[in-house]
Amino acid sequence: MTSNQDTTNKRRLPLCKISSALIGGGVISAQHLNTLRGIRGVEIVGVCDLSPALAQFTADRFAVPSWFTNYHEMLECSDVDVVHVLTPPATHDRIVRDCLDSGKHVIVEKPIALSHAAFCELWDYAATRNLQLIENHNYRFNEPIQQIERAITTGQIGTVEEVEVRINVNIRGGGRYSDRNLPHPSHQLPAGIIHEFITHFSYMLLNFMPPASIDNINTIRAAWRNHGGGNLFKYDDLDATILAGSTHGRLRFSCHQWPDCFSVQIRGSDGVATAELFHPTCQVTKHRPVGQHLTPLVNSLAGARTMTQSGFGSIWRKIRNHGAYEGLSRFLELTYDSLCTNKEPPVTYQQMNETSRLVDALLALENRI
Amino acid sequence: MKLLITGAGGFLGRYVVDAALQGGHEVHAMVRPASHSIPDSWQGHSKITIVRADLRSAHGIAELLEGIDGVIHLAASKSGDLYEQFGGTVITTENLLNAMPEAGIDRLVVISSFSVYEYQQRWAWSKHDETSPLAIDPLMRDEYCQTKLIQEQLVLERAKAHDWQCVVLRPGVIYGRDNLWTARLGMQINKRWWMRTGTFASLPLSYVENCAEAVVRAAEYNGNPRQLILNVVDGKTPSQRAYLKVLQNKMTPRPHIIPIPWTVMRLLARLAWLTNRIFFNGTAKVPGLFVPSRLHARCKPLRYTNKKIVSTLGWKPRYSWQEGINRSLQNADKIK
Repeated sequence: MTSNQDTTNKRRLPLCKISSALIGGGVISAQHLNTLRGIRGVEIVGVCDLSPALAQFTADRFAVPSWFTNYHEMLECSDVDVVHVLTPPATHDRIVRDCLDSGKHVIVEKPIALSHAAFCELWDYAATRNLQLIENHNYRFNEPIQQIERAITTGQIGTVEEVEVRINVNIRGGGRYSDRNLPHPSHQLPAGIIHEFITHFSYMLLNFMPPASIDNINTIRAAWRNHGGGNLFKYDDLDATILAGSTHGRLRFSCHQWPDCFSVQIRGSDGVATAELFHPTCQVTKHRPVGQHLTPLVNSLAGARTMTQSGFGSIWRKIRNHGAYEGLSRFLELTYDSLCTNKEPPVTYQQMNETSRLVDALLALENRI
Repeated sequence: MKLLITGAGGFLGRYVVDAALQGGHEVHAMVRPASHSIPDSWQGHSKITIVRADLRSAHGIAELLEGIDGVIHLAASKSGDLYEQFGGTVITTENLLNAMPEAGIDRLVVISSFSVYEYQQRWAWSKHDETSPLAIDPLMRDEYCQTKLIQEQLVLERAKAHDWQCVVLRPGVIYGRDNLWTARLGMQINKRWWMRTGTFASLPLSYVENCAEAVVRAAEYNGNPRQLILNVVDGKTPSQRAYLKVLQNKMTPRPHIIPIPWTVMRLLARLAWLTNRIFFNGTAKVPGLFVPSRLHARCKPLRYTNKKIVSTLGWKPRYSWQEGINRSLQNADKIK
């Protein structure tokens, strides 16, 4: 990494120059590349995919100077500081180790590993080489989630009593996950296709549940179901309850409910905060300084305002071509900033470790109902 | 010849299988593993072998090509996001091309599309043939254009490198049973209300049975040059208004048509483009009809010709466009 004197950056930027490369040219690579192009100081030096056509297309589309079909070659040829591993989860372990062996910091798409034990081994591998290994927890950095965090830290909803994280996505109705001709590789993961999402709601739940460690969780019960039947989907529904002292957590995943959503609801001793990430909103129901009788009215009016803003905001975001990946941009900016300044990354070891442990616990046979 | 036809279960594929059989060929009809759309007439047919495979996976393709004399590659994706279309059109082609040398196959027909051409930077009513320029800025066009351009490039590079007998066919609009509408007409608001964008522009139509015959002729092509690009358009092409009027009269209930002149559409698209540039730095997502490059690709009036394919392959469209519509509506073709 080299020093950079340019301080005229428009966004929150790293203070040095970092060169990056991407392995995997699928859908998510476009999100990473779009974001990286907006971070000054970051130079994308190469992309790699098994398909030459896709690698070349990605390089051309995002003006990346070189493309590869063999990541070993890319790691050797390019002067890379950071590698983004964006391949299917089952391939992460081998690729991440090879990147670490080459002395590169690694940012990995979720899930970083297929078990907690595998995560620990990878982490040790990175630590012994004094390199950063960071899992993408992008949704934590979406604005509505940040707003909930502010509502909690400023005491607007009191002590957190209940956390519910819900993802509804109609992936059985068509698209890449329901393709029977060439089943998506995620169907082979321990939680089947839900493994694509399980990291997101696990880190989200842990982000808001008070105990810092899942050692403090007394009970986990998870109902894994395949309501749609058939042999393509291992599971298409998850309903899990997590109890930690007096705090209750619930994780819900469904392919059968409408509308699609990624919602987080925090119920506290003095109020409720609800965030929706697919149609970004954050609504806080709290005590208002207007007296007991008028508080419901003010909360309703505030809610109506939020819903109206959300409705128009959805259209606006559609026009502006903004998806639910806004958090990725902030996550990557903070990550690159931390790499430059040797600060702690925005996703810490503890957060990745606890997330991985929770996923293991949700899948454990003894916790199933 | 023993022909492998990829995408055989698709709209055009079924007719190509039929045309290949009529041409005296043996057919290996490749359909997707989970496909249920296999015509009854294929079952037990002595000259048809049904092959189930998905070309997005390279695994096992070489074995499927053993003993094949030529490949007609129709498999492609027309829907889904960019990456789904890339997988269904480009990766499939890449995997097929990688397996062909090992199997010793040197005969290939690939179906491309008129969507690969440039439209915006051309004069209205200019002649459109194989020498017309390709899309200048594909990223401004739709995913289909982008993926088809890459597919063509892959095919032609590989065919040249291996000196394959290769024909790339670029059909205009293939229509037939259950596929009588085209975006070149405008937009179907619902079953009762249709919007026609333009009036006098010719539609580069090819009735599916005509097109299928052209595909089989291309597979039989033995001439020079060994790599060819041919447009596929039936002889006389109707105007948007004429085609839509015939279609309208045959529909029950009869739909209402809202005509919007080409100049008005151009103006609206231009305004949308300017607004996007000025206020959103060109990043706003607007419907295709309001993106000038896409609007021109759909509706620009041009003059189409099929001289090259007629003279090179000796192909003559069997059915006129009116007969094509009638056959489509009466299910007069033999494909069941």
